[in-house]
Amino acid sequence: MTNTSPTAASKLRGVQLVQRRELRALFESAVAPVFLIAGLVLLNSLYMNEFFLTARLDMTPLFDALAPLAGVLFPAITMRMWAEERRQRTFELWMTLPLTPWQVVLGKFGSALTLAALFLVGTLPIVVMLTQLGDPDLGRIFASYVGALCLASMLLAAGLFLSSLCRDQITAYLLAVLVAALFLATGHPRVVAVIDGMSPDAGIGRGLARYFSSLPQYESFVRGRIELGALVHFLGWTAVFLTANASAVKRHRP
Amino acid sequence: MIAPLIRVESLTRRYGDQLAVNGVSFAVAPGEIVGFLGPNGAGKSTVLRMLSSYLPPTAGTLEVAGHDVVREPLAVRQSIGCLTEHNALFDGMRVAAFLDFVGGVHGLTGARLAERREWVVQRTELASVLKKRVAECSKGFRQRIGLAAALIHDPPVLLLDEPTHGLDPLQVVAFRDFVRELAPGRAILFSSHILAEVAEIATRLLVIQGGRICLDAPLGELEQRATRDGINLESLVLDSVRKAEGAA
Repeated sequence: MTNTSPTAASKLRGVQLVQRRELRALFESAVAPVFLIAGLVLLNSLYMNEFFLTARLDMTPLFDALAPLAGVLFPAITMRMWAEERRQRTFELWMTLPLTPWQVVLGKFGSALTLAALFLVGTLPIVVMLTQLGDPDLGRIFASYVGALCLASMLLAAGLFLSSLCRDQITAYLLAVLVAALFLATGHPRVVAVIDGMSPDAGIGRGLARYFSSLPQYESFVRGRIELGALVHFLGWTAVFLTANASAVKRHRP
Repeated sequence: MIAPLIRVESLTRRYGDQLAVNGVSFAVAPGEIVGFLGPNGAGKSTVLRMLSSYLPPTAGTLEVAGHDVVREPLAVRQSIGCLTEHNALFDGMRVAAFLDFVGGVHGLTGARLAERREWVVQRTELASVLKKRVAECSKGFRQRIGLAAALIHDPPVLLLDEPTHGLDPLQVVAFRDFVRELAPGRAILFSSHILAEVAEIATRLLVIQGGRICLDAPLGELEQRATRDGINLESLVLDSVRKAEGAA
């Protein structure tokens, strides 16, 4: 007779199997190569342009450019992860394998986060270049990478959840870009000024920037600070989106 | 008496206002090959989907290999091999990787996984396509890949939804022989809307119409009844379907 209560080790093994399968699927489709090549060329070009103009041993311009780019690029990783399963009817295959919705969600999320981490690894030659040229602030650079990973985690969890609500990957992508824009743009000074300008006494723009937006939280990492509040913001939203995703998968039936 | 591997009692499933399955009860013992017959839309796939734990029932009890399908879905999924209606597979994966993945999530590792993979590959004749992507395989091969994945963990219960769909006549014959070979110790429930196909292989017939079971008897008994009434098996089954339609 089969064991009815899987151990923590077997649950983790299930997550790893899903993660490996999904990561392989990302590389076997065009998603991962296009994402890595296009994203890195774009990000590194933006940075190198800034570097040659300012001649400063500082990676802040790269991480400043990463935030808006992440809002457009990261949803491309997750857009098909559930939407395609529904379109190709492989959702039923997942749901008849001995895996919990949480195992499948975490496996898919893990593969997306691994690809985002590989993307960040692709920027490490710049760190090597800066250390060869002088003495950059490595602590600040490290904090920026932690922030970038936190931002990726939240955006990927949101994209994965939105993909679980859609049958079409383009719709999933557009929704994820919209959500990313909401999280990031609400912290931009110009957007805050526009919102506050519509109703100066209410202070809605400032309120959104302070309590909702991810941009100020991300910028605190880029300025070299790893703050508990910022970590809680990103990890909290990641947990919210993953929980919503597991719940959506559990509830989805024809 | 041998405990059944599949036990269904008063099973009901609604899709909104539509009653797709209405108070269905049956049991399948080890060694039985039950042909699940019914016209399109009669409720066959809905029953199989509930047995596989994919669809929750609106009411009723389902047990597979002693596990309650609603309360212990993971234990049920460990105990079943499923070939779903559309046989959707992970198209981008290579066949070998797909089988290893399915074996892996069923807890198979190392030598045991290799042994089981070799067995299913040999029995479903997949050796020539192992390195191909699933998407590159013909419909017949896809059906065999689905069957191989359903069998890789050696489950005591097989739920096969239209398993011969897409197979050529020679493959259908080979499939029948294979299923007969698999039957000892296993409960096999397979759906079809073709009586001749079911009659070739099943030990028992279960006919569903309008979400209700209208015929449930061993095949031998039905053949005797048909001979006694001077009709063929097809007419006997059609009569029961028509009566069920009339009653509805």
